[in-house]
Amino acid sequence: MRALYLQAIDQHRHRVLSFAHYSLRIREDAEDVTQEVFIKLWQHWQKIDHEKLGAWLMRVAHNSVIDHVRKQRPQQANLDHYAEVEDQVGEESDAAHLEQRHFKSQLQSAIKSLEDPFRSIVIMRDIQGMSYEEIQGSLELSASQVKVYLHRARRKLRENSKLRQLFEEQIADRSDVKQPIALVANNNKGNGHAQ
Amino acid sequence: MPSNGESKCYFIQLQIDGYLDGDLSEAQQGVFMSHAQDCSACASEYRYAQTVQDAVMELPQIECGNLVLEPIHSLTAGGRQAKEDAQRGSLATQIAGLLNSVPLYFRYGMSAALVAVVAVAVSFSVVTPIEEPGQLVASESVEQYSPEDITLALQELNVAIDYLNQVSQRTEVMIGDRFLVTPLQDSINASFQRARIRENNPLNNGPI
Repeated sequence: MRALYLQAIDQHRHRVLSFAHYSLRIREDAEDVTQEVFIKLWQHWQKIDHEKLGAWLMRVAHNSVIDHVRKQRPQQANLDHYAEVEDQVGEESDAAHLEQRHFKSQLQSAIKSLEDPFRSIVIMRDIQGMSYEEIQGSLELSASQVKVYLHRARRKLRENSKLRQLFEEQIADRSDVKQPIALVANNNKGNGHAQ
Repeated sequence: MPSNGESKCYFIQLQIDGYLDGDLSEAQQGVFMSHAQDCSACASEYRYAQTVQDAVMELPQIECGNLVLEPIHSLTAGGRQAKEDAQRGSLATQIAGLLNSVPLYFRYGMSAALVAVVAVAVSFSVVTPIEEPGQLVASESVEQYSPEDITLALQELNVAIDYLNQVSQRTEVMIGDRFLVTPLQDSINASFQRARIRENNPLNNGPI
């Protein structure tokens, strides 16, 4: 049994830690959640349906994250240990790369600030590439709910004012970059009329 | 009231995520692209949505190192013993939760009843005569438990009995304290208080 259990850990550990990391953005808390998830797996090993192990693990991870967020002290709620993503990008001092890193960092903060289940759905679908069925099983939502919530979550993400500001600054700096849709010179945002 | 153009932009921008996911039909895609090419606001919104979506999808999977899972390996290396300890703990916790939720008299009575049942069962098993060969054959066809399973079951039963004994002792003390000692003390204190008041006001005690 222990061999199968260790095999399950190897298969799912990166996904569980990733989910906890993008949800909490504090490395120690993410590791705590990961450990809690796999301890619960050990305790309930005999009772769970092993064909749906992935969804079960993500559901437990999701619930553990919610518990951690509830227990978080108010001053910690705003703490945001910028992820190792920035470290992985490297030490480039080029302005464009710095901009990109800043954008990604702000993006991760914006993801963390989303309410549940929007945050969880964005992480599961867009970052981890889970299928709709897996997400349904993990969050106990219907198929239509998953899609609706996903689109709503993305819209909420785009409403983050800092993220939008960074994007507009990048656009202003890179006005010579080829765009997928033809763009007129003046930005007539808001009037909705053709140029 | 929003103009037709603004309504159309609102509707088109609602479809951005569907377009990015490839969920729109060909006709819907055509309408979407046609409007986005004519409307700079919607084109800008689409580009922003695409940039954010691409950035999210580029976020990497976080690697889980072995150090994170070391406590798990230590826990499971204890194997069966650790599982038994966890189960024993959880069993005692469940019994505690169940007992705390029922009324006091029920807890007290239940513990006494359980001890009586266990005593009867144990005495019955001691008194039961040796089985005849025919009966032995019949019992062999019934599912057999390993000695380890039986030992584990007895250990868990002992834990439960110990816990129930503790509860009954605490209940006894609590009942005695709440319904006997405390009322008696209150009554005595009240008498002393009344006597003190009478002493301080001697005129009130006179016949006139």
